[in-house]
Amino acid sequence: MKVSKVMTAKEAVAKFIADGMTVGVGGFFHAISYAITHEIIRQQKRRLTICQPSFNEHADQMIGAGCVDRIVSSYVWMEVFGPLHCFRRAMEKGIPHKIEMEDYTNFAVMARYLAGSLGIPFIPIQSMKGSDMMKYSAWMGEGKAKLIRDPFNSKKEYVAVPALTPDIGYFHVQRADEEGNCQMWGIWGDSPWSMRACKQVIVSCEEIVGRDVIGRDPNRTILPGYKVIAVVPAPFGAHPKHTQGYYDVDRDFIFQYIRESRSPEGWKKFMDNWVYGVEDREGYLKKYIDTYGMKKFLNLKAKDISSSSVNYGF
Amino acid sequence: MSTDCKGAPSTNYTLQELLVAAAAREIKDNEVVFVGVGIPCLGAFVAKFTHAPNVVLVVESGCIGSMPYRLMLGIGDNACNENAIAATSLWRAFSDQQRGYFDLGMLGGAQVDKYGNLNSTAIFGKGDYKHPVTRLPGSGGANDIASSAKRTLLMMNQQKRRFLDKVDYITSPGYLDGPGAREKYGYTGNGPSVIISNMAIFRFDEMTKEAYLDSVHPGVTVDDVKKEVSWDLKVSPNVKVTPPPTEEEVEIIHILDEKKIYTGKGLKELTFESYIGMLEKSYTTLKSMFPA
Repeated sequence: MKVSKVMTAKEAVAKFIADGMTVGVGGFFHAISYAITHEIIRQQKRRLTICQPSFNEHADQMIGAGCVDRIVSSYVWMEVFGPLHCFRRAMEKGIPHKIEMEDYTNFAVMARYLAGSLGIPFIPIQSMKGSDMMKYSAWMGEGKAKLIRDPFNSKKEYVAVPALTPDIGYFHVQRADEEGNCQMWGIWGDSPWSMRACKQVIVSCEEIVGRDVIGRDPNRTILPGYKVIAVVPAPFGAHPKHTQGYYDVDRDFIFQYIRESRSPEGWKKFMDNWVYGVEDREGYLKKYIDTYGMKKFLNLKAKDISSSSVNYGF
Repeated sequence: MSTDCKGAPSTNYTLQELLVAAAAREIKDNEVVFVGVGIPCLGAFVAKFTHAPNVVLVVESGCIGSMPYRLMLGIGDNACNENAIAATSLWRAFSDQQRGYFDLGMLGGAQVDKYGNLNSTAIFGKGDYKHPVTRLPGSGGANDIASSAKRTLLMMNQQKRRFLDKVDYITSPGYLDGPGAREKYGYTGNGPSVIISNMAIFRFDEMTKEAYLDSVHPGVTVDDVKKEVSWDLKVSPNVKVTPPPTEEEVEIIHILDEKKIYTGKGLKELTFESYIGMLEKSYTTLKSMFPA
């Protein structure tokens, strides 16, 4: 029997994300679910371990809100725009509390996810050898990474990293059907392997489509629905990040966050405005349009640059 | 060695534009280059529009062979997969790189040492790894690139506190503790080939693996550079003056970075409208100059 998994972000986060969980956060600079991230913050989830090859300001907001104890990642920064202030305050000064980061490389986090997606305990990689990532670790101690020798021909040494299988993962995609069959295009980043490594997956999407839309272009499917436990309709759900074919990055908004989050007070003000002070994503978008005007909002929308279609006929 | 660029040298250029051109000249035609953001990325774009039209640019987010007509501000920007050969996953991009397909990677950091080891993880100060005085972003893909790209280009600000005998934390391996170290670890890649700073260009001695001074930028002396290096810097007996960018290179830089985001302080004054305006203008101009 067909089961609809459609629910609100509020319901999905309340039902499936518990304090202390290890949470895989999907997207790579592109298609990051702010719809779910902000709900995690509003519901004041605590002691989370968050995982992603590279984190931007979505991690910073969760850190500032006190949701995070541990980070599995290779990077927490805002590229050329500079440091994320909550991350640094927490790492350097323990504000709002001391957090730990298990330093890997982009590829190493990805490889840990790949091992997780394959259901194998570890995977050997070429990265990290000789670097101080092998010398220092946080809470994982010696379980972070180990040098192993190729048991077959080369006898060379490789770095073995353990499988990463978060309790839950949340991802943003362009479209999904009610059962959670997801399609994504543009920058995939850590998907689809990270999605498969998570024990369960919440998906937020720009559009809910019929099963027939998925079936007409099945090569575009990044995750079949059997892994998905919740489908959250969230138009503009990745704002201020972008979602290819829907809207572009809102750099002004990201600048504003970075400027205001320099002090804990400024951060609180920003968050009161845009996270704590709104009910849900709909409220957030309404506030955005009220504050910046419809013209600016529509300016974010993507132009139509459609691909040529292919013939699936036989 | 860098590529010799033909064309009239510019007489009106900034230091940042010289750095972009210097980065561009490290790229040879038909190479596969792993690009990040910042000046090296602009350099890679300039190479593509000048002497290296067949270069394949790869971005960590999984975009391979894009043909961007506009500046990337992030490695997840839509510009990254514009007219790309393939838009795939982070895993695919990095697996190709671990397999040894990538010729050049471009890296930066907060500290570098004489063996080209880079630190982008933490400045310890009086603390340690767990209690750093300054926490930095971490490796990102830098360690992967430093381990597996055939060679790497390092871009650094020339300051004594950044050019150290030993970095606080080795995020990305150069030649580690000297000759033989990379061979011992069996990396796919061969290590750094050049450091480009805002004062000079350094290359690595084949025997000692130490960085030496190869050229100084116009107006900079060897002594100026030595003052901003913590170790006893060796100087090439044929130390040169870094050649200026060509007029053509400067023109491309002006089109791509009209608002001086990478080549000036434009980031501070950037608004959404001016940024979009710049991207659209550069897209139209470059597309007419270099149709796909």
